[in-house]
Amino acid sequence: MAEENAQQQSYGGGGGQRSSGPGGGPGGRPGGPAKRGKRNFVRKKKVCRFCVDKADFIDYKKAEILAPFIQERGKILPRRMTGTCARHQRWLTVAIKRAQNIALLPFAAEL
Amino acid sequence: MEERLYDLIFILRPDTPESDIDKVISTLEHAAAEKGGKIDSVNKWGRKRMAYRVQKLREGYFVYMVIRSSHGEVVKELERRLKVSDPVIKYLTVRLDEELKRQDKLKRHRERRAARRPRKTVVPAAAMPGAEQTAAPTA
Repeated sequence: MAEENAQQQSYGGGGGQRSSGPGGGPGGRPGGPAKRGKRNFVRKKKVCRFCVDKADFIDYKKAEILAPFIQERGKILPRRMTGTCARHQRWLTVAIKRAQNIALLPFAAEL
Repeated sequence: MEERLYDLIFILRPDTPESDIDKVISTLEHAAAEKGGKIDSVNKWGRKRMAYRVQKLREGYFVYMVIRSSHGEVVKELERRLKVSDPVIKYLTVRLDEELKRQDKLKRHRERRAARRPRKTVVPAAAMPGAEQTAAPTA
């Protein structure tokens, strides 16, 4: 066990070829090495959709634009899920709430 | 006082006859005119499915209009009329002019930035030799 751990650490120093490590067998070693693997996991960078379109405002009347930003049960998706920038998320929540008020979007999905 | 712009959406019962819909719209127009406001545009979206049930109804007839006025009295009067009007099941007024102002500001800001951009692209190019110099001693 001790030898294995030492090997893992040396790999960790290497950095680059780490991606195959955690997939190989996370069940074998508890604790430390798994954390290491997580750190090296590269997440795809999400881009704010409204910034791409250079949106100066978000229209609450267009429910089809707002729909991708709510969950199936009607909750507003957080920024970390959609990649929306802070400013546009602020506008987006206002737009979604307005749309909810005029029954263009649901407050909560009906069962 | 500066002029204000509002969005007004209201939903009528889906079984309202066309003549009643026009009647509601015309009474709103009269009421707005009385209070010194003006209805810029009326857009009937028609029968649409609502996202949730309102008064046990799943569908509604949506009407969208843009109102122009110099004070809030017009909106107050229109909302009062919508409230007492029987076929109306839901309404929403949103003030637009402040958002439009912000939108304009952002647009102007971006245009100014775009106009300045040619000069800005030169700066990184000039900075490049500097970066190489700082990198050289470490290597």
